[in-house]
Amino acid sequence: MATEIRIPKLGFSMESGILAEWLVEDGAEVTAGQEIYALENEKSTQEVESPASGKLKIIVQADGEEYPVGELIGTIE
Amino acid sequence: MASTDMVDKDVLVDIFTRADLIMQSDIKFRQMIGAGQLQIVYYPVRGQEVVSSAMMAAVNQDDYLVTIYRGLHDQLAKGIPSKELWAEFAGKMTGTCKGKGGPMHITHPATGVMVTTGIVGSGIPIANGLGLASQLEKDGKVTVCCFGDGATNIGAFHEGLNMAQIWKLPVIFLCQNNLYGEHTHMRDTTGSASIKQRGEGLGMRSVQVNGNDASAMYTAAKEAVDHARAGNGPTLIEAMTFRFHGHLLGDTSHYIPKEEMEQAKKDDPMPILRQQLLDLQISEADVAAIEAKNAAIIEEAAQFALDSDYPPGDEYRIDVLDVEIAA
Repeated sequence: MATEIRIPKLGFSMESGILAEWLVEDGAEVTAGQEIYALENEKSTQEVESPASGKLKIIVQADGEEYPVGELIGTIE
Repeated sequence: MASTDMVDKDVLVDIFTRADLIMQSDIKFRQMIGAGQLQIVYYPVRGQEVVSSAMMAAVNQDDYLVTIYRGLHDQLAKGIPSKELWAEFAGKMTGTCKGKGGPMHITHPATGVMVTTGIVGSGIPIANGLGLASQLEKDGKVTVCCFGDGATNIGAFHEGLNMAQIWKLPVIFLCQNNLYGEHTHMRDTTGSASIKQRGEGLGMRSVQVNGNDASAMYTAAKEAVDHARAGNGPTLIEAMTFRFHGHLLGDTSHYIPKEEMEQAKKDDPMPILRQQLLDLQISEADVAAIEAKNAAIIEEAAQFALDSDYPPGDEYRIDVLDVEIAA
């Protein structure tokens, strides 16, 4: 079963985040805990870790757009 | 700090079993929140597992615990069933408080977890109340009150410890000193060189211990529990520890010098405790079995939380006041 990657809530008041950059390519094999993308919110950027090991499928490209918390941006299969 | 001999093998296994459940739970929570599967505010506990596990291994299930919002390690160490805990963190109806408390207000009287507060330092007077009840009812119970170093700058700490000392309440005040109150180092907020000194100033039996050393922490905890149960009053334990992740998930710990963090991670209490078990001739297979069992508990609990429903809207009318609020 695929593990979903959604825009996380990383702070009390966070309601959206900017998908700044994918750190791995679409289709790459990733491991749980590996930093896979950069997320901008509230003046800071941080690298978000993969929740699972497997093949990354990118659903939303890093285009500098702002997405709400909960938006599906990729999966790990 | 007091140094001690290693405690019994069975006790160390017990402490490791609790601590590993905490560590794996913390990792799983961070993964699920990081992946947006759970949208909650979370205060990571990685690095502080051994403090709670050794403390709770020294008390009984019907002894009381009062803790604070960085409390996952305390709650799990005290024995809250993982399924109900995870469901409450997720705000679901099947949680310890029917999803109406959430991660900052975990309460589970069946395992002695009487309250988790969201206000720094506010648990101390509450713990005194529980201690006073035990003293009056002569039920032999002790209360463990957990808080951080920052809480010792709150008035309630000084007033509460003073009162507990005067009344010889059976309370163990466990200050988990991770050196940072939110985003500020202790040296910038705290006048005394140690928290132990503050307890001594109030006339209380006070000890400082390496909380990341399972044997030293357990020994300090057991002595404090025995002291309280014998009617001799409270103890302040200052347990030195560290947290490996931000004040809350999303905080990048930019205020902690890189070298300090690296050193703390080198001193990670979990691999040290694991190695201690192996050194005591507990087999790799037996240790791995403990870890696998914990992993299974967590997988089941996380799925249970995801699958459970949120409380229905009309739930707001009950459990809030003593009587049901009219619709």
